[in-house]
Amino acid sequence: MSTQKEPDEESETEAVVSAEGVDYDALEEMLGDSVLGRETHLNAEGFVVRADAVQDALSTLKEEAGLDHLSCVSAEEYEDRYESIYHLKQYDDPTNEVSVVVPTSRRDPTSQTATPVFKGADWHEREAYDLVGVDYEGHPDLRRILLPETWQGHPLSKDYNQTKPQIVTLAENKNPLEEHKSAEDSDTMFLNIGPHHPATHGVLHLETVLDGEQVADVEPDIGYLHRCEEQMAQNGNYRYQIMPYPDRWDYASAGLLNEWAYARTAEDLADIEVPEYAQVIRTMSAELCRIAAHMLALGTFCLDIYGDFTAIFMYAMQDRENIQNILEDLTGQRMMFNYFRLGGVVWDLPEPREEFFGSIRDFLDGLPERLDEYHDLITSNEIFQIRCVDTGYLDPEVAKDYGVTGPVARASGIDYDLRRDDPYGYYDELDWDVVTEDGGDNYARLLVRMREVEQSARIIEQCVDLLEDWPEDERNIQSNVPRTLKPEADTETYRAVEGAKGELGIYIRSDGTEQPGRFKIRSPCFCNLAPLDEMSNGELIADLVATLGSLDVILGEVDR
Amino acid sequence: MVDAPLVETIRSLLGLGDGPLMTFIAAFLGAFLVGNVMLAQAGVAGPWAKRKITAAFTDRIAVNRIGPFGLLIIPAAAVQLLAKELIIPDNVDRPAYDLAPLVLAASALLGFAVIPMGSGIHLADPETGLVYVFAVASLASIGLLMGGYASANKYSFLGGLRAVAQNIAYEIPLVVTAASVVIFAGTLQMSEIVAAQQATLFTIAGVDIPSWYAFVNPFAFVLFMVANLAEVGRNPFDTPEAPTEIVAGYMTEYSSVYFVLFYMGEFIHIFLGAAIVTTLFLGGPAGPGPAYLGIVWFLAKIWAIFLFTQWCRSALPRVRIDQLIEIGWKGLLVLSFANLVLTAIIVGVLV
Repeated sequence: MSTQKEPDEESETEAVVSAEGVDYDALEEMLGDSVLGRETHLNAEGFVVRADAVQDALSTLKEEAGLDHLSCVSAEEYEDRYESIYHLKQYDDPTNEVSVVVPTSRRDPTSQTATPVFKGADWHEREAYDLVGVDYEGHPDLRRILLPETWQGHPLSKDYNQTKPQIVTLAENKNPLEEHKSAEDSDTMFLNIGPHHPATHGVLHLETVLDGEQVADVEPDIGYLHRCEEQMAQNGNYRYQIMPYPDRWDYASAGLLNEWAYARTAEDLADIEVPEYAQVIRTMSAELCRIAAHMLALGTFCLDIYGDFTAIFMYAMQDRENIQNILEDLTGQRMMFNYFRLGGVVWDLPEPREEFFGSIRDFLDGLPERLDEYHDLITSNEIFQIRCVDTGYLDPEVAKDYGVTGPVARASGIDYDLRRDDPYGYYDELDWDVVTEDGGDNYARLLVRMREVEQSARIIEQCVDLLEDWPEDERNIQSNVPRTLKPEADTETYRAVEGAKGELGIYIRSDGTEQPGRFKIRSPCFCNLAPLDEMSNGELIADLVATLGSLDVILGEVDR
Repeated sequence: MVDAPLVETIRSLLGLGDGPLMTFIAAFLGAFLVGNVMLAQAGVAGPWAKRKITAAFTDRIAVNRIGPFGLLIIPAAAVQLLAKELIIPDNVDRPAYDLAPLVLAASALLGFAVIPMGSGIHLADPETGLVYVFAVASLASIGLLMGGYASANKYSFLGGLRAVAQNIAYEIPLVVTAASVVIFAGTLQMSEIVAAQQATLFTIAGVDIPSWYAFVNPFAFVLFMVANLAEVGRNPFDTPEAPTEIVAGYMTEYSSVYFVLFYMGEFIHIFLGAAIVTTLFLGGPAGPGPAYLGIVWFLAKIWAIFLFTQWCRSALPRVRIDQLIEIGWKGLLVLSFANLVLTAIIVGVLV
C-alpha cells in the first residue's frame, strides 16, 4: 500500500505518523521492550506485543504517535496460540495504520485489556471473549455479548462442537421480568425497552434504569439477531460463496456498500485489479444504496419523533422505493443484490441503457425538490427543533474513543470519510464534498444524512455522465479472475469502506485454502451503538428513543 | 331543569303522557339514540375515516378492498376486534382494570347529553350545562390513570401518569378560556350560548358574518383549540400514548373488547371536544338554510375539527413530556388568564 512509506530519517520523533505515512521502525523503537517482533499484514505492519503490555503499547501509540482510532479488534485461535489483533488507525488520515498483535498461550489465553485506553475496546473484547474465548484481564465487564449467558463454549474456537445444537430456554436465560435489585431501596425504576418495542428498529434490548422519566443508566443488550455471519463466511469460498452474505448485514438497502467491503478486502488479499468501468458502476450503485439507506434512516428517525406512520415516513419510503426500482433494474434484486464480483460486477448496465439512465436522471432531478420538502416538514419545524437540538449530544473526543464513524462521527465534527481519506473505487476522480456538522446532537446527525444525500446525488450524476460516454469497446465489467482463489497462507489484511453507517471493515487471514481462515467483520453500527449510555444519560426517555433513532443502527449489522 | 326538545319530541311521538316516569322513559330513549349515533360515528371514524384521512396525507390509498370505498371494513373490523381473545394479565388490579375502559368511554358519551346538535336534537339543557360537560369530560383522566395503574405494566404506568399530568395542565387553560366565552354570553346554559352567537357581527360583500365567538375572539378560539388537542391527546400532545416511546401508554395491556372501548372512547372524546368547540365558538348547529339542517351543520363542524386533529397527527412532531408540561403551565395558562381578564375588561367597558 502507498501508506507504507519508507522510514523518514530526518523527522524521527516528531512525525512518526504523518501525512507521508507511518515510520514503523521509529514506532517500534518508541514501543520499546513490549514488542516481541514484527509481522507484515497487507494493510499495515503489525507489532507483536507482550500480553501484559497491551495497555502500554496502545496508549503509546494513541497518545504519542496519534493513532487515535481503534478500528477493530479481531481474535483467533491457532494451533499453538490465541491471538488478538488491535487494528489502529488515525482519524486524520486513516491510511496510517498499525496492527498490534497480542499472542497468548493456548493453555492460559489471558491478555491485558485495552479498555482503559480505548473505551471502544470494551465491546470488541467482549465479542472476542464470547466467540473465540480470549480472556481479557482487567476488563471491567467481561461477559458474553452476542450469545446468551448460559451458552457453552466459544463457537469460533477449535474444540467447539459445531454440530451439537444448543437450546437456551427462556427460563435458563436471564429472566426479563425479574425484579430489579435497586428497585426496593431507591427511587429508580428498571425498564426493559425491547427486544420487542416500536422504537428499537429491530430486536435490540435496552436495559434502562429510570429516575422518573429521566434515564439514569442504559445498557444495550445485543445479539438477538446473531446469525454467525463470520462463521458462514469462513465456510464459503472467496470466489463465489461469500458475496451474498454482506447483503444480509446491513439489510436496510445498504447491500452494495457492504458487498464493496468484502470485494475490497478480498481483491486486496488476492491482488485482483478491477476495470475502471466496473469501478464507476460500483461507485454509482453504491451511492444509490447510500441514498436509500439514508432515506430509511430519516424516515424511521422521524417515526421516533413524530410517532405513528406519518407523512415523512411514507415520503421517505417512497424515495427509497424509487431507488430500489432503479437497483432492481440494475441488479435484478431489490434488497439482497449480490451484484458485485471479485474483479468487477456481475453484469453490465441493463438494456436499453438510455431508459436506465433516464430513470436515474429522473430521480436525481426530482431529488432537490423532495429534499426541500423534507426541510420544510422536518428540519424547519420548531417542535422538531426543540426535540432534537442539544439532545443526545456526542462529544467528538468521546466519539473517537469509542471508534464512532460515519454520519454519526461527522455530525460531531469529525472530518472522517473513507471515500476521501482512504480512496477506493472511483471516488477520488469525482467532485464531491465530505459533509460535517458541529452540533453533535440528534439534529446534526439528521442534517448530515440529508446533506450526504445531496452529495451522493452529485456523485451519481457524474457517474451517469461518465457511463453514458464510455467507449463501447472498453466496457469491461470484470477482470480475469481465476476460478478458485487460494491466497498464500497466513496473508492477513484489514480493509474498510465507507458504508452507510460508517467504517465497514473486514479482516481476513487466509490459510492457503479457498476459504478464509478467519473472517472478521468490523460493523460500524456495533461501534456506534456502544456510546449510547454516554449520549442519553440524564436525558428523558423520549430523548433516549430519539438518540437511538439518530444513531441509525441496523441490528443485522450489530449482531451479524 | 328545562325540558329539552328531544325528550319532548319523543314523548309526543310515542304518545307518552306526563309524569316523571314517562319523562324518564322518553329521556332514556333519547339518550339511547344520541349515544348510539355517537358510537356509530366513532365506529366510522376509527376503522375507516381515520385510515382514509391519514392515507390522503401520506400519499397512500388505505382500505379499499371491502365494499364501496372500503366502507365494509367497519363491520369487518368490529367482528375482528370483538372476536379476539381478551387477555387479562395475572397481576392486574381488578376491578379497576375492568372499569377503566368503561369510565373513559362513558365520560365522553355523557358529555353529549347537553350538547345542542340542532334539528331539535338536544337531550338536556341544564342551566349549568357548560360546567357539567367539563366535569364529565375530565372524568376520563381517572379512567386513564386507573388503566395505567391497574395494568401492572411499567409502560402503562408511565402512560397513566403522563395522561394525568397532561390533563391537569391543559384542563385549567381549557376551562379558563371557556369562561371568557361565558363572560360574553352571560350564561352557562348551552342553548343560550348558541343563541348568543346568532346575531350578525358584520357584513362583508353582502355575506352576513355571524357573531360566533371564533370571530369575536379568535385568540380565545386558538387557545381553546390548542388546549383541546392536548385534552384529547393528539399530536403534538400525544405523549400519554407515544407509541414509539412507551409502546401504547395506558392501553398497552388491553386487548379485545377492552381495547375497543378504549379506542372508541378516545374517538368519542375527540368528537366531544369538537362538539364543545362547535358549541362555544362556532355557533353550534347554526348555518345557512332552514333550521332543520342544524344537525348537518353540526356534524360538518365536528368532523372538520376531527379532520384538524388528524392533520396535526400526520404532520406535527410530538413534544417531550417536560416541554408539554412547560407549554401548559407557563404558556397556555398565562395566556388563557390574560384572555379572561381582557375579555372581562372589554365586556365590562363596552356592555
